[in-house]
Amino acid sequence: MLRRGERVWLNAAVALVYAFLLAPIVIVVLAALNAGAYLRFPPEGLSLRWFVAFAQSRSFTRSLAFSLKLAATATVLSTVLGTMASLWLVRFGGRLRTTLRILLTAPLAVPGILTGIALLIFFYALGWGKTGFGGLVIGHTLICIPYVFLITSAVLVRFDQSLEEAARNLGASPFATFRRVTLPLIKGGVISGAIFAFVTSYDEFNISLLLSGVGNTPLPIQLFDYLRFSFDPTAAVAGTISIAMAVVVVLLTQRLVGLESLYMGGG
Amino acid sequence: MASLRLQGLTKRFGDVVAVHELTLEVPSGELVALLGPSGCGKTTTLRMVAGFDVPTRGRIVLGDRDITADPPERRDCGMVFQHYALFPHLTVEQNVAFGLEMRGLRRPDVERRVGEILERVGLGGLGRRYPRQLSGGQQQRTALARALVISPRVLLLDEPLANLDAKLREEMRFYIRSLQREFHITTLYVTHDQAEALVLADRVAVLMNGRLQQVGAPEEIYHRPRTPAVAAFIGLTNLLPGRVTGRSGERLVLETPAGTVRAAGAPDLREGMEAMLSVRPEHIELDRPGEPASRDGVNRLRGVVQERTFLGSLIDFRVDVGGGVLLRVQGRGGAPQRVGEQVSVSFDTTAAWALPRREG
Ligand SMILES: Nc1ncnc2c1ncn2[C@@H]1O[C@H](COP(=O)(O)OP(=O)(O)OP(=O)(O)O)[C@@H](O)[C@H]1O
Ligand SMILES: [Mg+2]
Repeated sequence: MLRRGERVWLNAAVALVYAFLLAPIVIVVLAALNAGAYLRFPPEGLSLRWFVAFAQSRSFTRSLAFSLKLAATATVLSTVLGTMASLWLVRFGGRLRTTLRILLTAPLAVPGILTGIALLIFFYALGWGKTGFGGLVIGHTLICIPYVFLITSAVLVRFDQSLEEAARNLGASPFATFRRVTLPLIKGGVISGAIFAFVTSYDEFNISLLLSGVGNTPLPIQLFDYLRFSFDPTAAVAGTISIAMAVVVVLLTQRLVGLESLYMGGG
Repeated sequence: MASLRLQGLTKRFGDVVAVHELTLEVPSGELVALLGPSGCGKTTTLRMVAGFDVPTRGRIVLGDRDITADPPERRDCGMVFQHYALFPHLTVEQNVAFGLEMRGLRRPDVERRVGEILERVGLGGLGRRYPRQLSGGQQQRTALARALVISPRVLLLDEPLANLDAKLREEMRFYIRSLQREFHITTLYVTHDQAEALVLADRVAVLMNGRLQQVGAPEEIYHRPRTPAVAAFIGLTNLLPGRVTGRSGERLVLETPAGTVRAAGAPDLREGMEAMLSVRPEHIELDRPGEPASRDGVNRLRGVVQERTFLGSLIDFRVDVGGGVLLRVQGRGGAPQRVGEQVSVSFDTTAAWALPRREG
């Protein structure tokens, strides 16, 4: 039990952390609702005119749709690959385990811009000049895999393998064992890995900057291009939409699997 | 029902030989306890039978089928894991139904059989609970039900009672025994608890350092151990070194540091051989000194009480009988002997058991 004085300090510290985390969000949302013509805080009156402007901008809506498609594809690929990698590594990695783990998580340690350049050079070497969507998917999957891998590994390390043996013993094939026992129990880790992957891909700037081309512009790149020439609140609207999406994802996850299972590794 | 036969089963992990040339039969419908100290290879043996570990050498035959190379799901062994391994995301009913579903039974049949077995193990009202909402004993019974409901050809139990408290453990022993009899199921029961093995088993197989020491009925293992290691492992005993000097009727005559002793002995003991004498503390009696020396049927030694420990219903004595031998003796609660007192130590010649000194 904490003593009274300690609790006051603890509450104050928590409040500060929340303020620190939430302030930018509040500012972006308020800036998006600005009635004035420039991106600034505090807003000069409230209005939805920049939301309308965003919705009417072909380039913004197109890049939003492109970003969503890209993030969804990279999420599916990185979740499948990352989960498979951690399953294999936790169980059969043997002496190579540490080395392979470092290699798989390397994209986290290498600056994104370097990864982007490396991919660009690689694609050129293969004679794939303009790779478009395919190249972006490869790049995004690459940087999303470490998140999925790390989160599912954390769940798998605690996974009791005698449960799988029990399933086999009761007559389940390896595939049925995975579907009926392993997957339901690591579901929480896989889903939180997927969420991280989605958000990472949706926010990714460096790799997209190098690999995107005409007609293949993810939202962050579009925003960057836009802000170079105009400084109106449409940019803040894009930010607000991203925030709203994150909230929706979290709520949906909570409805579907229960947020606790993200920590517990299963229902 | 089928018998289970292990033939020359060997398992190596790198340099460690976990199980060495194990040959053992579990006859149809019997319960054989695989008994041995920690690390002797019991779990490894069970895992090879279940198909989780691949034997380095040897064969596993269930009924008339060689299952050595079969994957676990095709072996038809029901296993109860030491920590139960209940599926935490499934209810008790779903756990028990799992094996039946994997066998493709139709829903109504699954429900009927799950209901029946849950009634039988006394979990009738608890089918909707999750494993974490059960007590240790209830989890244990769920694990048993899950293994039994698929009517396996052999039941494998790995220290099933190790995680229960002493009282429940005692209850569950008899419970498992009666279930096993009722289902008449061939059972291999792994334990390091010799009392459990003696109570439960039709036959006990003693395993040490991955080698089978002896297989036999509980009484035989207890009263007629074949190696000193088995004698020391099963129950309490006094072990005295000795040499066989002759025969006297049915009995062997042994010269020990504490004097001449007549004893029953393993048939392979010959005159002149080095032997080990095993006498259980509860078979020894303490009297006043001055009784006649050994007569027919009884060995008598002189000694001095060195230690006396009160154990409730028993009193544990250590008696110096000379030649550097301290005998452990357990007397009734009211035994009057005091430390330092001269006593006469006696035990029946049938209660003394001589076995060859060298292993094997
Ligand atoms: N996967 C493994 N890799 C290496 N050595 C192993 C492995 N499994 C078991 N061993 C070794 O094999 C020997 C027998 O182990 P086993 O688990 O069968 O013992 P046990 O009789 O079940 O012991 P306990 O009563 O402690 O459960 C031990 O020396 C153990 O260290
Ligand atoms: Mg074991």
